[in-house]
Amino acid sequence: MDLDKLRKTAAEVVAREDVRYLLGWKKGTFGYRIAPGFVEDAESAAELIFSPLCTANLATYLTLTEKPPLPRGQEPDDRKVAVMVKGCDSRAVTQLLIEKGIERESVVIIGCPCPGVVDHELLAEKYPETEETAELKWSDKGFLLLQNGEETEIARDELLAEKCRLCRYPNPVVSDIMVGEPVETWEPDDDQGVAEVEGKNAEVRWEYWQEQFSNCLRCYSCRNVCPLCYCEDCILDRLNPTWIYRSVNFSENTAFNLARAFHLAGRCIECGECERVCPANIPLGKLNRKLAREVREKYGFEPGVDPEAEPFQASYKPDDPEEFIL
Amino acid sequence: MSEKPKVGVYVCHCGINIASTVDVEEIASFARDLPNVEVARTYSYMCSDPGQNLIKEDIREHGLNRVIVASCSPRMHEPTFRKTIQEAGVNPYFLEMANIREQCSWVHDDLEVATPKAKKLVAASVAKVRLLEALEETEVDAEPATLVIGAGIAGIQAALDIADAGFKVYLVEKTPSVGGRMAQLDKTFPTLDCSACILTPKMVDCAGHPNIELMTYSEVEEIGGYIGNFDVKVRKKARYVDFDKCTGCGDCANECRVKDRFPNEFDQGMGKRSAVYLPFPQAVPAKYTIDPEQCLYLTKGKCGKAPKCQEVCGVGAIDFEQEDEFVEFKVGAVIVATGFDPFDPSKKPEYGYDDYPNVITGMEMERLVSASGPTGGKITINNGEEEIEPKEVAFIKCVGSRDESVGNEYCSRVCCMYTAKQAHLVREKLPDANIRIYYMDVRAFGKGYEEFYDRVRRENVRYIRGNPSEIFKRGNKLVVKAENTLTSTPVEDEVDLVVLGVGMEPRKEMRDIMDLLRLSQSQDRFFLEAHPKLAPVDTATDGVFLAGCCQGPKDIPDTVAQAKGAASSAMIPLARGKVTISAQVAEVNEATCRGCGFCVEICPYSAIEMVTVNRFGYEIEVARVNEALCKGCGSCSAACLSDSIQPKSFRDWQILPQIAALGAMK
Repeated sequence: MDLDKLRKTAAEVVAREDVRYLLGWKKGTFGYRIAPGFVEDAESAAELIFSPLCTANLATYLTLTEKPPLPRGQEPDDRKVAVMVKGCDSRAVTQLLIEKGIERESVVIIGCPCPGVVDHELLAEKYPETEETAELKWSDKGFLLLQNGEETEIARDELLAEKCRLCRYPNPVVSDIMVGEPVETWEPDDDQGVAEVEGKNAEVRWEYWQEQFSNCLRCYSCRNVCPLCYCEDCILDRLNPTWIYRSVNFSENTAFNLARAFHLAGRCIECGECERVCPANIPLGKLNRKLAREVREKYGFEPGVDPEAEPFQASYKPDDPEEFIL
Repeated sequence: MSEKPKVGVYVCHCGINIASTVDVEEIASFARDLPNVEVARTYSYMCSDPGQNLIKEDIREHGLNRVIVASCSPRMHEPTFRKTIQEAGVNPYFLEMANIREQCSWVHDDLEVATPKAKKLVAASVAKVRLLEALEETEVDAEPATLVIGAGIAGIQAALDIADAGFKVYLVEKTPSVGGRMAQLDKTFPTLDCSACILTPKMVDCAGHPNIELMTYSEVEEIGGYIGNFDVKVRKKARYVDFDKCTGCGDCANECRVKDRFPNEFDQGMGKRSAVYLPFPQAVPAKYTIDPEQCLYLTKGKCGKAPKCQEVCGVGAIDFEQEDEFVEFKVGAVIVATGFDPFDPSKKPEYGYDDYPNVITGMEMERLVSASGPTGGKITINNGEEEIEPKEVAFIKCVGSRDESVGNEYCSRVCCMYTAKQAHLVREKLPDANIRIYYMDVRAFGKGYEEFYDRVRRENVRYIRGNPSEIFKRGNKLVVKAENTLTSTPVEDEVDLVVLGVGMEPRKEMRDIMDLLRLSQSQDRFFLEAHPKLAPVDTATDGVFLAGCCQGPKDIPDTVAQAKGAASSAMIPLARGKVTISAQVAEVNEATCRGCGFCVEICPYSAIEMVTVNRFGYEIEVARVNEALCKGCGSCSAACLSDSIQPKSFRDWQILPQIAALGAMK
C-alpha cells in the first residue's frame, strides 16, 4: 500500500468544500493499537495509515453522527462524510445504502483493496506488544513487523484473522475513489467456519452455546461496534414491552444474542467486528456466518453487494415455494 | 384508560361443535374468577338472535365495557359480535374472540385435553381485552364509476350490467376489437347457437352505451388508490389511423403493399391479413389499425414513393404521426376480466403439433369450421402433401389439462364439450368421415351437456378411452397410437386430421395485472379469489373483482354468471356512495422509525409510503400508513427491526400479556 498516495488522496478529499470530515485509520498510542482518525483538514491527512492492523470497520461511524436539536432557523450541515473502507467495510456501506441508513450522496467512499488483516490477539500472543508503536506491513510472504528497530517476516497463515480467511470480497464493492490496485481474491473454505459446530447433534450444540452465552457480560460492545446496529432506539433497550430483561443470566443472555443474530440475518456483512470486540470471546462470527449462509443458500440473497438490491427482510413474494418452512 | 374494565365472557356451545369436546359450563365458571370479569355465561348459539341479546342485556345491566366471545374463528363472527356490542353502546373494537372451536374443539376429541386448553385461551383473551383501544371507523366517498379490464364476454357483460344500472364504466381492451375468445368460436355447446349471433349484439351495445367509455387497443398502465377511490392511468396505443375519421371501408387493407402477408390472429394464424387491418369483419369498433411491427412505412421509414393506404383513404384517416395517448380517471371499483391463453401443444411434443400441419388445436378447428373462417367453413386440411378433405378425423382430449407433466393439474372444463360439439360439426359437414375421440373421462356436467354428449355418440362418433401416447407419420397418414383401456388392446389408427382438445392456461401477461393490483395466484396459477365458496368474485384487494377465465377455466354460461356477480359486487360501493375504512390498521411510531422502508416493500397492499418529516431541524424520512389501503395484516410489523410499526389491537403490549397468560397456566 502506497501510504503517500493514500494521504494525498485523503488530503484532496478533505480539502473539498462539500466534505465535512474524513474517517480513516491512524496509529494508536502504543504497541499495535490503531485509532479511528477523524480528519478535518488536509494537514491531518498525513497521520493516516492503512496496514494489516487496521481491523476496525469505520462504516460504523457513519450512522453514529450526533444530531443535536437545531436552533430554529439553523440549517443542518449537509456536507458529505468521507470514509476509508476495506472490502468488508464497503459491504457495510452498501448494506446501509440498501436499507436507506445513509444516502449515497452523503458519503465519499475511498476504497482500499485489502489483502487481509491480522488477528490482534494472535499477534500479541506470538509477538508481545511493547510500549513503542509498532508497524505492520503487507509483504510477499504475508506480513512484515517493524518493532523496536527490528524487522520480522511473518507468514500470512500465522496471523491472518479468521474473517479474512473466509473473506469473499477483499476488494471494495462500492467506491468513489480507489486507492491502490485490486488484490487477487482467494478461495475461502466452503463451510464458512461453522461446519464443526453444525456437525454436532442438538444437545452438544446446546451445551456449546450455553457455555458461550453464559460468559456474556451484556456489555453491548457487539451491538455498539456493529455498523448495521444503528436503530436510535434499540428494541432490546425498551421497557414496555420488555423483550429482554437486564439480568445477566443464561436465559436473558441467550435471548439477547439470538435476537441480535436474527436482526442481522440477511444484513450481516461478516466484518467480524462483534467477535473482535467481545471481551468474553463469544464466537459471534459463527452465529452470523451460519445465518448468512442460510440466507445465501435458501433465498439467494447476499447482503451488502448490490446497492440496488431489494432488502432481504422486505422481499416477500406470494409465490415463494417456502420449501423449508413447515 | 380511565374506566375500570368490566368484562363479560360468553362461551358458545355451537350446538355440539364445541360442547361435545369442551366442558363449556366449566369454562364459564373458570372465567368468573378471572380478574375484571363481571359475568360469564354459556349459550347454545351465541351468534343467534337470543344469544346476541344476552350480551346486549348484560351490557345494559352490568355496565360491561369489554366483551369476550369464546366461540369460533374471528374470521367467522367477529363482525357479527362487533355489531352486537356497538348496538349496545360499546366501542366495537372492545371485543375479543377466543377461538375455542377451530383451534380447540375441532382439533381435539378428548374432553380432558380440550377443556383445559379452552380455559387457557379464555384466560389469554381476558389478559388482552383489558388493554384494547377504542378505535373509530371512518367513511370516505366512493367514485361512482368502474374500470373493467378486458372486453371478452366476461368484461362486456359486466360492463353492460353496471352501465345499465346507471354507473359509468371504463372498458379497457388490449386488442383493437372487443369480443375476446368467444368471438372466435363457431357454434356454442350444447344449444349450437352461433357464437357471433349471440355475442355481436352485446359488442355493439357496449360500444354505443352512453355510460360506457370503450377504450380498445389500450392498456392499463397504473392503478393507485383504494376501494372507492382508484386512480387509473390508461395508455391508448397509437393506431396510426384517425379513430374519428376512419369509416371502416377497408380500402387501405386492400391496397396495402404487404397485403395478406401476416398471420391473422383472429383466425389463429390460419388466415392472412395486411399490415393495416380490421381483426375480423364484425369487429367493434369497426376501425382499422396499423400494426407498427409490420407496416413498411413504420418499420423501414419508406413504403414505395408514398404509403398506398394514405393515398387511397378517402377521408384522410391514416396518420403516421400518431403517438400513444394517456388518459387518467378515477373509479370506485375494478373488475379484472383478462381471460385465458389456450394451452400451447408444443409442450407435448409427442403429439407432433409443431411437425405436422394436420395436427391442429381446438381453437384452430373453431376457425376451420366457421363460415367466417379462412376456408369459409369448408373442412379441408393440408396433410403435408396436398389439400384434402379428411376422411378420418381424430380428437384428443385433455391436452394440457389434468396433466402434471406440463404443470396443469386442473380440468379445463370446456374441452369435453367443445370436442363433442366439433365432432358433431364434422359429422354435419363430412357425413361419411370416421370420427374418433380419445378420452380419459367425459365430464358433461352442465345443463343440457349430458344430453348433448349422448346425441353426439349416437351420431356415429366413436369414443375410445385411452390417452394417445404418440402421433407419427406413415405414408400420407398420421398414426394415433394409444391403448383402448376398456378392452386393454393397443390401437394404431391411421387418420387425416388430428384435433387437440387443448385446455386453458393463465394469461402470460397476468403478472403485469398482478403487480398493478397486488393480486395473488392460486395453486393453478389463475387469479386467487378471496374465498373459493363465499367470495368467488372478490379478491384480497377491496374493490377489485374477478370475472371469467382469469380466475379459472369456465364455459360461457359460468363466465357470464360470474361477470354478472362481479358487476353486482362492484356496484355495492358505487350504489352506497361511501366506503367504510376499517379502523384496525397499522400505525407508525415516527419517533423511532429509522426510515429503512422495509415495510413499504413488504406491504402486500401498497399501503405504506415514505414521507419526509422534520425532526429537530433535520429532514428525515419515515413511514406513513394509508389507512384506507391497510388491511391490518401485520406484515410490516414483522419486517420492522425497530418495532416502529404495529397494527392497532395487535400491538406488542397487547399481545405479550396474552402470551404471558397462556404460558402462566399449567
